[in-house]
Amino acid sequence: MPRTGAQWKSKPNLPSTHYVDSQIYTDQSLFEEEREKIFEKVWSLVCHESEVPKAYDYRRCQHMSGKELLVIRGKDMKIRTFYNQCPHRGNVIAFEPSGNAKRLTCIFHLWSFDTKGNSVEITREKEGFQDRLSKKDVGLREVKTDLGAGGFVWVNINDDCEPLEDFIDGSLDCFQHEFSTKPLEIISYHKTIVPTNYKLWHDTNRELYHEYLHRHNRMVAVSQPGYFDRLYHIFGNGHMSADPMDTRYDAYEGYGGEQRKLGWPGGGDTIHKFSDLFPTMTFNLRPPALRIDTMVPLGPDKTIIEYRGLGIKGDTPAERAERFCDHNAVWGPFGRNLSEDQIAVVGQMIAIRTGRNSSYILHGREENGAHDDICLRHYYGEWSERMGRSAADPFNEQAAVAAE
Amino acid sequence: MVTTKNPPKKVSGKSATAAKPHRKKKVESGFETLFEREKAVRELIARTCLTMDAYDFNGYLDLCHDDYQYTITTYSPELRKDILWLDHDKVGMKTLLDVLPLHASDHFLRLTMSRHLSVYTVDYSDADTLAWAVSGLQVFNTAKDGGVTELLSVAKYFDKVALEDGKASMLSREVRLDTRMLGETGSLIPF
Repeated sequence: MPRTGAQWKSKPNLPSTHYVDSQIYTDQSLFEEEREKIFEKVWSLVCHESEVPKAYDYRRCQHMSGKELLVIRGKDMKIRTFYNQCPHRGNVIAFEPSGNAKRLTCIFHLWSFDTKGNSVEITREKEGFQDRLSKKDVGLREVKTDLGAGGFVWVNINDDCEPLEDFIDGSLDCFQHEFSTKPLEIISYHKTIVPTNYKLWHDTNRELYHEYLHRHNRMVAVSQPGYFDRLYHIFGNGHMSADPMDTRYDAYEGYGGEQRKLGWPGGGDTIHKFSDLFPTMTFNLRPPALRIDTMVPLGPDKTIIEYRGLGIKGDTPAERAERFCDHNAVWGPFGRNLSEDQIAVVGQMIAIRTGRNSSYILHGREENGAHDDICLRHYYGEWSERMGRSAADPFNEQAAVAAE
Repeated sequence: MVTTKNPPKKVSGKSATAAKPHRKKKVESGFETLFEREKAVRELIARTCLTMDAYDFNGYLDLCHDDYQYTITTYSPELRKDILWLDHDKVGMKTLLDVLPLHASDHFLRLTMSRHLSVYTVDYSDADTLAWAVSGLQVFNTAKDGGVTELLSVAKYFDKVALEDGKASMLSREVRLDTRMLGETGSLIPF
């Protein structure tokens, strides 16, 4: 039956782990706190090693905290990451999204740096600074960088962070064969600025029952045997993965009744599997292509979502074309699924951005299968712990009402 | 991977249009005057936009040659290479367009798409049976509830047109995008 205003705002009759207050998606102060307590503390994936394949290749990236970064491969072939910021007057050093440079020279006053972050040129150094400051004092700010399984470049701007392996905590082990049989290579990149909260996008990537939204997924997965038997697996630090599933592409009209033929080395030809890592990263393998989502939250209601498509290094031209075509048919900017997902999270934000007059978001399904909400409850358990706030009651309003 | 833009056919350094003044001449294309031929090419390009704006996908396909090839391309400065976002022959295009109404699309739910076109150049083969046209394209979204219009993308069409039996039909189209971030949600509907 319809509910009154008071009923609408009353907390759900579920455990507090099974819903969240929608203010966690809209409140500016909570967003600033997330930057400090989450984004600046955890490891984040910023690109793939194949985006900087040669010595001196660089890639400009934006860290989830908003910081400008520069990933660069040195002459020693090691990949390092620095703040993309000149220590002199704060200008960005690299303006282009990618390039190749033996020296990184700031356009503003021509200070230069090598690929290890050393300052190698200060214009009129002696005349300007005498002996008060020299090149050794003004190197670039290096950011902790590690190469994870599959050749993904991870960074952490917290100098005292845990090792990457501890952070991932085995959540990518389900890709062990797919990431190690042959080297991966990036085949597609695009991004979108979506007017939504980053957690809503991650929620959509985590829970499988949003697949009702997609004609494609209803046909190739939801309506297929074994779909509802898939179980979620949770890992430390808020990460999760799901059981793999054989996907029937031939059931979708958009493929002209054909099953996909090109598989993925080390994995099944049509086995769909995915892992979602707290707070903003998704690995999604649907052969013949791998999709990686990463996010840069710009505010509580604005998020850059970056999409990478990966294939196999050494693909024949025909294989590469097939991976590219299949990837973009579903996950490209004109792809069937991606646009639908984005419409959904934009719609959520339109409805809940009313802030304090808003509602609760339910994460209450318990069915020990593909549509269980344990993946969302696990995520918000981690969020609550890191924030020191309950996602169900971030401002202790329920406690205050109870006290009255 | 990416189709190259069709080289415009030149006659003695001038476009074929400029080299051949209006005069009656029976040619292989079936068009008797340059005016008729030029009008047919320009109207064909415009009608591809009008049919797609109206979501008249069958009407759009009727304008396309049996050998039609459609691509959407752009340059990625991040990867420093051309990328191909959509690539279909006529059968593939029909399969795509047939299935779109089964999907949740912004352009069925809350937006109307409008293609604004300027044909820049049209050049012809020596036998007048082929034309190459370059057009500027702007794609706008207009909200169904409030009338707010936003620019979704700036692009160019590189079209190849078949001229046969007094009829123009689209042989190939490359949509070359300048704008790579396509609004808030991307687009299920091809440009």
